Amino acid sequence: MPDWEKIVREKLGSLPLNGGRHEEVIDELAQQLEFAYEEAIANGVSESEAMRQSLAQFTDWEKLRGEVFRSVEGTQLPIWEQNGVFAPRRLPVWIALALTLALLAVPAFRQVLAMTPVPGSNPTAWSSRAFSERVLRSIEQSGDKGKYARTLAFVALHSPDDLQAMHAAEKAVALDPQLTWISAHVSHATYLVPGYDPHPWIERLKSWDPQNAFPYLLEASANIHSDWETRWGRYNAATADLRRALAAEPAWRLPMEKAFAAPRMDLYTANQFALDRQVLQERGFDRPDVLMVATASQQLPDLGAVLIYQDIQLKDVGNSAERTGQTQEALAAYWTVARFGERLQSDSWDIMQLFSVKLREDAYKRMIPLLRREGRTGEAAAVEASLSVLPAVDPTKDWRHKTALEASAGRSARIAGLAAFFLLVLGTATAVWLISAIALRWRPNLSRGLNRVASVLCFAPSLLFFAGFTLLVAYYPYAQPIGQFASQEELTRAYEPFFANLRNLMDFGIATDVWLARMFWPSIWCAAVALAGAALLHWVARRERSGRTGEA
Amino acid sequence: MGKTLDRELKKGSAELLILALLEEKARHGYEIGKLIDERSEGVVRFHVASLYPLLYRLERRGWVKGEWEPAGGRRRRFYRLTASGRKTLASQRARWREFSGAMNRIVEVRCA
Repeated sequence: MPDWEKIVREKLGSLPLNGGRHEEVIDELAQQLEFAYEEAIANGVSESEAMRQSLAQFTDWEKLRGEVFRSVEGTQLPIWEQNGVFAPRRLPVWIALALTLALLAVPAFRQVLAMTPVPGSNPTAWSSRAFSERVLRSIEQSGDKGKYARTLAFVALHSPDDLQAMHAAEKAVALDPQLTWISAHVSHATYLVPGYDPHPWIERLKSWDPQNAFPYLLEASANIHSDWETRWGRYNAATADLRRALAAEPAWRLPMEKAFAAPRMDLYTANQFALDRQVLQERGFDRPDVLMVATASQQLPDLGAVLIYQDIQLKDVGNSAERTGQTQEALAAYWTVARFGERLQSDSWDIMQLFSVKLREDAYKRMIPLLRREGRTGEAAAVEASLSVLPAVDPTKDWRHKTALEASAGRSARIAGLAAFFLLVLGTATAVWLISAIALRWRPNLSRGLNRVASVLCFAPSLLFFAGFTLLVAYYPYAQPIGQFASQEELTRAYEPFFANLRNLMDFGIATDVWLARMFWPSIWCAAVALAGAALLHWVARRERSGRTGEA
Repeated sequence: MGKTLDRELKKGSAELLILALLEEKARHGYEIGKLIDERSEGVVRFHVASLYPLLYRLERRGWVKGEWEPAGGRRRRFYRLTASGRKTLASQRARWREFSGAMNRIVEVRCA
């Protein structure tokens, strides 16, 4: 006869029941096994088969252990007495926690964590860490101290404080005149510094880079900015009135003429990209998303003004010349626009590419019939050939390639976003579990509620690892040190689809701007107060109930 | 055809079965399991792993009382109904009759 008590004791393990109930439970369950065994023997089965049949009554001893404790004591088995796979006494849960911590050693994981905004934080967290006033002030101080022009130039390009930007730019250019191109950024005509005049910056840029169209475009905008601020409202941009009024304004027309006639067009995109990449690396922000945000601060010319000047050349100068039979003058006006369009092509910004195509297309379409009417069929054919090779402004032309890339990036971004969400939720759950488990280790009878919470959340550490691993896998193809991006074009091509999708995914409009940014923590506090109130009411109700029972 | 009572256990019908069996006399756990099997002619069968936690729960609620008593040369734990258990049984039995009567009326009408 098997020793059933010994078998039950071994399989059930320790059961912290009060008042000798543990021994009673073992005794009772052993009797159940013994009865079943004896009955099987009486039915003529072998001893081994009888033993198998008897033990088959209890398939999951750990579950039985938990249920017996819950039934007898009316609460969960203490967390440190549980033997389930996810119990703190078992190794798997600690291995999962260790693996999650090990993920932090992977640079790509740290990178994706850093770029994932936390609810309740600033919705512009992408840029706030690298470009906060505090960080920029510290960068400026270190630049001052080391007389390092490039860090000062970085501050000039990214400081939200106009005055700080100007001071940093002055110091950077004084230290290294090769950085004069940053004047384009500082010469922004809308600076809110009292008495600010962008012209000295523009003049400095013109004399440093006289062949470039960009300073002239900046000059045209700066010349009319303050005078025209109140006049813009009078004109409808679609009408010819604004065009004519601006054409009659020499302060605007003359620099625009020079811009369209200049042999080069350089927005200093490559300069800024190289500078941002270098300083971000030096300052420990080796993250493509921060570099992406940094490039967005680049100063662009007033493209509306470019379109107006194009219309002046095509519709007013060119058309009038055609009507009066001055073919050469008309063609000269059209060529001015077309060649300016060609020069815009050299910039890597998508918007500049689109403008380049539009300007050339509009100019070529006017030139072709004029040249044919004049019998200059050879020249007309050459222009036609140029028109036919223009890349399509319509993005559907390279639809297949673009959507395949974007779809892949979109999928990765969705997985990364979802994994980041779960990482946040499970991270919180794991923290609660860990605190509860430690507290209950210290004082096992601290709180039944805490024990229940720890029991329910025991799966969190393991799931946390899977969420972290999924996040890493989804982001890994996009994780690169910024030094590996040779140009802004490369960064945009390789990283922008994922970045844009992730950003869109996390942008719930007003929910992100108001709720997550301002209401997240107040909501958490309200929930905590409500929970504490509910727990207090429950406790009072229990006390009253037990008081009534005692009286009865 | 045997069926396990896990779902019914959760729904409370199993409590009624046990309380009803203990109304006649005090019984031990093995006997309760066997009786349910026999009286239902194998249609209803308890998982033993669910039976004992249920007995302990009923005991904690004060509906049954378990006591060790000598029987057949050994010590066995017998469960008997308490006054509170009797009240609960009466109430659960009335609800069951109401429910099964309603079910029967519907099923009989459809079969007729």
